[in-house]
Amino acid sequence: MIIEEEIQQKLIKNYNFLEEKIRIPRARRIYFEFPADKFEGLLEFLMKEILCNMLCTMTGLDAGDTIEVIYHFARKDGIIVNVKISVPKDNPKIKTISNYFPSAEYYEREVIDLLGAEVEGLPEGSRYPLPDGWPDGQYPLRKDWKSDVLEKENK
Amino acid sequence: MDRVIIPIGPQHPALKEPESFRVTLEGEKIVDVSLRLGYNHRGIEKACESRTFMQNIYLIERVCGICSHSHSTCYIQAVEDLAGTEVPKRALYIRTLVGELERVHSHLLWLGVAGHEIGFDTLFMYSWRDREIVMDLLAKLTGNRVNYGINTIGGVRRDISKEESEEILKAVDILEERTKYYIEVATQEVTLINRLSNVGKLSRADVELLGAVGPVARASGVDMDTRRDDPYAAYSEVSFKVITADNEDVYGRTLVRVGELMESYSIIRQVLKNMPDGPITVRVPRKIPAGEAISRYEAPRGEDVHFVKSNGSDTPERVKLRAPTLANIKAVLKMLKNYNLADLPIIIAAIDPCFSCTDRTISIKKLDTGSTEIVDWKSLREYSIEWYKKRGIRF
Amino acid sequence: MAVIERIVNWARIKSPWIIHFNSGACNGCDIEILAALTPKFDLERFGIILKGTPRHADVLMCSGPVTRQTKDRLIRIYEQMPEPKFVVAVGTCACSGGVFDGCYNVLGGIDTVIPVSAYIPGCTASPHAIIDGVAKLLGSLKKK
Repeated sequence: MIIEEEIQQKLIKNYNFLEEKIRIPRARRIYFEFPADKFEGLLEFLMKEILCNMLCTMTGLDAGDTIEVIYHFARKDGIIVNVKISVPKDNPKIKTISNYFPSAEYYEREVIDLLGAEVEGLPEGSRYPLPDGWPDGQYPLRKDWKSDVLEKENK
Repeated sequence: MDRVIIPIGPQHPALKEPESFRVTLEGEKIVDVSLRLGYNHRGIEKACESRTFMQNIYLIERVCGICSHSHSTCYIQAVEDLAGTEVPKRALYIRTLVGELERVHSHLLWLGVAGHEIGFDTLFMYSWRDREIVMDLLAKLTGNRVNYGINTIGGVRRDISKEESEEILKAVDILEERTKYYIEVATQEVTLINRLSNVGKLSRADVELLGAVGPVARASGVDMDTRRDDPYAAYSEVSFKVITADNEDVYGRTLVRVGELMESYSIIRQVLKNMPDGPITVRVPRKIPAGEAISRYEAPRGEDVHFVKSNGSDTPERVKLRAPTLANIKAVLKMLKNYNLADLPIIIAAIDPCFSCTDRTISIKKLDTGSTEIVDWKSLREYSIEWYKKRGIRF
Repeated sequence: MAVIERIVNWARIKSPWIIHFNSGACNGCDIEILAALTPKFDLERFGIILKGTPRHADVLMCSGPVTRQTKDRLIRIYEQMPEPKFVVAVGTCACSGGVFDGCYNVLGGIDTVIPVSAYIPGCTASPHAIIDGVAKLLGSLKKK
C-alpha cells in the first residue's frame, strides 16, 4: 500500500481539506469526495502529478436531494482513483471532461439520459442509451421513477 | 466528388446485433462516421436495484452471451470486496479456469467471424468446429454451453473432478495443435496478410487518447492487460505473457488474438497443475455492508468495469457496468476514416464488437430514407468481398 | 391445383429458407443459431439456408425479448415475408420475456406482437434444441 499512501500524501499536500477524507479500503483503490466547482483543477493535477492516464468510466447516482457523479480514473500500475462530486438535483450542472478524455462523451450522455443531469460543453450528438421516442422528463435511474409511469404516459 | 451518406444498420451489422452507423462517403472513401447506439438497452441497471445480490448474478450474466462469465465474476468481485470475504483459493482457481476457457471460445468465435467477413468461409467453419470442443468442455464442467452460472457470492457452485481435469488437458492439447495451424495460416497466407494489413490503422497515441482497451489497444503496441496490472482471481499466481503487436492494423489484432489463445492454453495447464485443495465456497450473509466497490476484469474484448454500491440491505443501491466495447467505440470511428467502404465490415468486426454488452437496453430506430441509400450488412459484406476479388484477393 | 400445392409444400418442407432477427437479445441464442450451421450440427443438410432479406424467407427465427421500438420493426419484417410463413421463437426471452420480464423497455415475448408457430425454450437454446424445434415444425407441415 506504499504507492497508494504516497498518492494520498500528494493529494493532501495540494488540497489540505482532504486530510482524513481519503479512503484506501484495499490495495489499488483510492476513494474521496471533491467539490464540484474545483473539479477541473483537480483533473489537471491528477493527470499531471498523479499520472492518471485513463478514464475507466463515470457512475451517476441518485442520492436523494443531490445527484452524485463518480469519476473512475486508472493509472498504468492498476491503481484506480475514484472521485465523487455532488450537484443539487434542482440544478444538476456539471462540466464536460471530453476535451481531456474523449471517451467521457458516452458516459456523460448516460448520466444525462438516465439521471437528468446537464453537462455543459458537450459536442453535438445523438442521445444514448435511451430510444428517440422516450418522453421528456423521465429519468429511469432516479429512485422515484417506476416503470409503470411510462405505461400511464403511453395510455 | 459528391458526398453520399449511407446508413448502415440496424438490422444485422457485425454479429447480428442492431446498431446504426451513418457513413459519409466521397466516392469510395469513408470521410465521416457517426454512430447511433442504444439499440440493445434493456434497463438492466435499474432492474438490478430491485433484486437481491444473489439474483443479480443471473441477471448480469445475461448481459452478454459470449462474455457472460466475465460480467458475473466482475460483479461478484465487487460484492465480495464490500462484504470483506476471503474467497477460498480453490474457488479462485476454478473461476480462472472457466474464464480462460471462455477466452478461448470467444477468440475462436472471433476468428470465424473475421473469416466470414472477408469471404474466407472455410476459416469460419474450421474455427467454429474447433470451438465446439471448448463448448463441450464448458457444458461438462458447468452444465451449460453459455451462461455458465458457476459463480456464487463467496466462491463457485461446482467443483472439478480429476477426470474432468484430465479431459480438459487432452482437449487443450488438441486445440493447441489446431491453433498452431491457424497461426501458420495467419502468418504465411499471403492473401490474408494483404487483405488485413494497413486496414483500420490506429496509432499508439490515439489508443491512449481515446481510451481503447483490450486486443485493439495491444495491437497498437500499448502494453495493458488487467490480468497483470490489477490482478484478480488466481492471476497473481500464474505466469503468462501479455501479447502485443506493432502493426496497429486489423492484421495486428488478428495476431494478438491468436497469440492470446496460446497463452490461454498455458494458463489453463498451470491452473490445473497447481489447483489447491480445499472448500469451494464460503458463507456470506444476505445483507451486504454499506459501501462502494469497483472491480475490473479482462474480458476477451478488453477491460470490463463494474461498480457496486450497497446500502446495508440485501438489494444493491446502484450497479454500474461499463463493457469493453463502449470504450472502443471512439477508436472505431477514428479507424474508419479514409478507408474504403469495402473495408468497413472487417474494421468493425476487428474490435470484436459486443453491442449487447455496450448498451444493455433495447430499442430500434426507424430509418428515414430521404435521399440516402439503405444498405444492409449482408449486401455490404458481399460488396466488400467482390471489391477485393476484382483487385486479386480471393479466398 | 392440388398436385401443384403438394409439390410446393414438399419444396417448402425439404428446403425452408430462414431469416434470423435479433430483437435485442444478449447474443447467446444468436450464436447458437449460427453454431447450428457449422460442421458439428450442420442445419444445411436439411436444406436450410440463412437469407438476408425477409422477402425470400419461409421461416423467421427470432431471438430476444420485444421492446417498445423493436415492436414496429418486427411487425414490418413479419409483413414483408410472403405467405405461408412461420415464426420460431428461439430462447426463453423470445418465448416469454425471460429474465428481462418487467424491465422498463421490454414488452414481453415474441407472441405479444406476432403469431408464433414454434417455441424453443432454453437459456440459451442449444443447437440440439434448435434442430429439434425446426424438425418438429417441418414434421407438422408434412401432416397438412
